[in-house]
Amino acid sequence: MSQVAEGRERDLPERPASALSSRASLTRLGAALWTMQSTVAGPGNFARQYHEFAEDAQLVEQYGFASIWCAEHRIWYDGCCPSLLHVQASAVASTTRLRFNHAMLLAPQHDPVALARAALALDRLSGGRLDLGLALGHRDAEFDALGLRRDRRGVLMDRALDTLADVWAGAYGDRPPLQGPSLPIWIGGMAPRAIARAARYGHGLVLPPTLSPARTRATVTAYSEQLNGSLGGEIGMLRDVFVTDDARAAAAFRQRLRAHYREEIGSWWEIRGRVGFMSGGEVDRQLAFNDRGAIVGSPEAVAAGLSELFDAGVTHVALRVKYDFVERPAMREQLARLAEEVAPLLPAASGPA
Amino acid sequence: MRFLLAPTDADSLDRLLSAGRVASAEGLDGVLLRASVELPAPLVTAAVLARAVPHILVAVEIPIGDRHPLEVAEEAAVVDLVAGGRLVLVVRAASGTEDDFDETLDFLRTAFGARPFRWSGRRWRSPANLAENVNNPEHRTRLMPPPAQPRLEVWTGGAHGLAATSRGIGHLADVGSDPEELAKLWRTAEDNPAAVGAPRGLSAQWEGGPELVARLRAGRAAFGQDWAVVSAPASAAAELGRYVRPRVVLDELPPGLEDHWDSVTLNRTVLS
Repeated sequence: MSQVAEGRERDLPERPASALSSRASLTRLGAALWTMQSTVAGPGNFARQYHEFAEDAQLVEQYGFASIWCAEHRIWYDGCCPSLLHVQASAVASTTRLRFNHAMLLAPQHDPVALARAALALDRLSGGRLDLGLALGHRDAEFDALGLRRDRRGVLMDRALDTLADVWAGAYGDRPPLQGPSLPIWIGGMAPRAIARAARYGHGLVLPPTLSPARTRATVTAYSEQLNGSLGGEIGMLRDVFVTDDARAAAAFRQRLRAHYREEIGSWWEIRGRVGFMSGGEVDRQLAFNDRGAIVGSPEAVAAGLSELFDAGVTHVALRVKYDFVERPAMREQLARLAEEVAPLLPAASGPA
Repeated sequence: MRFLLAPTDADSLDRLLSAGRVASAEGLDGVLLRASVELPAPLVTAAVLARAVPHILVAVEIPIGDRHPLEVAEEAAVVDLVAGGRLVLVVRAASGTEDDFDETLDFLRTAFGARPFRWSGRRWRSPANLAENVNNPEHRTRLMPPPAQPRLEVWTGGAHGLAATSRGIGHLADVGSDPEELAKLWRTAEDNPAAVGAPRGLSAQWEGGPELVARLRAGRAAFGQDWAVVSAPASAAAELGRYVRPRVVLDELPPGLEDHWDSVTLNRTVLS
């Protein structure tokens, strides 16, 4: 055990000399997506992964990124993390500025009072660095394991949002969050109901990696209209990215990315009434959206792709560099290239980031 | 006798880490965390502490029965992984759920096992196999990821946890519990071979060294107490480690040793 730990310490890079000039644009960028999975494509001991999260978060912060993003699922063979606030808590002491967010935390699958209090504890211990990225969840088996009806997930979501607000307002005897009356909440999804829910509560959004710049612009417009003059929140987006100057490396990444999403879509999605893998060409149709959404290429090409999203109204992009099929050194290299080669090419954030 | 500090003043990150570090430095076995107004989710607090302070045991006392035990098991498993297997989970009945305590406890212990399971109890069902959940139904469920420990250490706390001692489950008695009552209880438990080695804990308030030594010696004499959870400010850890612990670990002290300890402690001579 200690030998492994020492080995890891040696592997840790020196504090990266993140270009200060790129800091301004880095305030709009996060690193994603820590899931702690051990899959067929990329197995990994769970205890090691959970130990390494605090180191990864430290590295993400040192490169200047503003946020680190985790994602939730449960009861699957790969052990995808079911308790995001608890793994993020492990990185509180190794970071000072980095914000914690989710794409997504499945609010309907949690007891809302317990979720509100876990968020309060993490908010306080992190010095006010928690954002909550909340979405419905979609896998029947996950709801069923918890005795919940999937078709009630919208109602459960509204109840969760109301309860979070109540707990933070002191209705259950708790103190308010450090960050104000409410923690920042970002609602996941692109369906009209998700947009409407976010606007109704004045919460932000997390848009999916498959959304084109044109549809992103339309979604942001719809959200802004429904906000009806109230402030709203951030427009976040999760995006698959890979920086490379080598066309063969780019093609290889795309191939692995398709395989990655094929497993998830094939196993979990219900498409036109049929389970993913059994739905004929539907999985491939979905994968084409993932493929088109991925931003792969030279630093200039990646910066151009990201600029399109910012132009469309996105305020924060969670850059996905962490996958089961990407080894840790390659993930670190992507962080470095994004911070040092891509970020300086992006316009600095205007207004509140 | 083993010692856990239940810090009464760990209400911020700095104070939490200080409590963990001083417990480690003063030779205590670890820390026990309970919900407080400032930090109302002790499993979250435990994850912060466990990753930042190596080696110490991190015990967490939580209510169960007021939310789905699969969610509780998931949180505990994640924290145990973060802690590298150093989590001790002390569970007590949430208010109003006392009648369901044994079922919820057994659900948790089942979930912590490596076997897929199907739970159909009076209070909990998992998978529920609800008619509305039709896509890829599963007839068993499982805790993923599993905890780091092969069998996550679970104790019960409070009066409703007492019955579980007869099944060999550790118990942490509340402050002020009657040692003679605990003695009766553990004598009954000893009829079951499964109870051999089950942790017998008692919570205590910090009341100064000599008083605590007397209380813990009495606890051991009465019911074989082997864990002490002491609610105290972190500043009391030094006296817990240097005064209380040695006097309780040894039942019988050679003449002269206490005088020697006093001189060593008074001088506080530590070579660094």
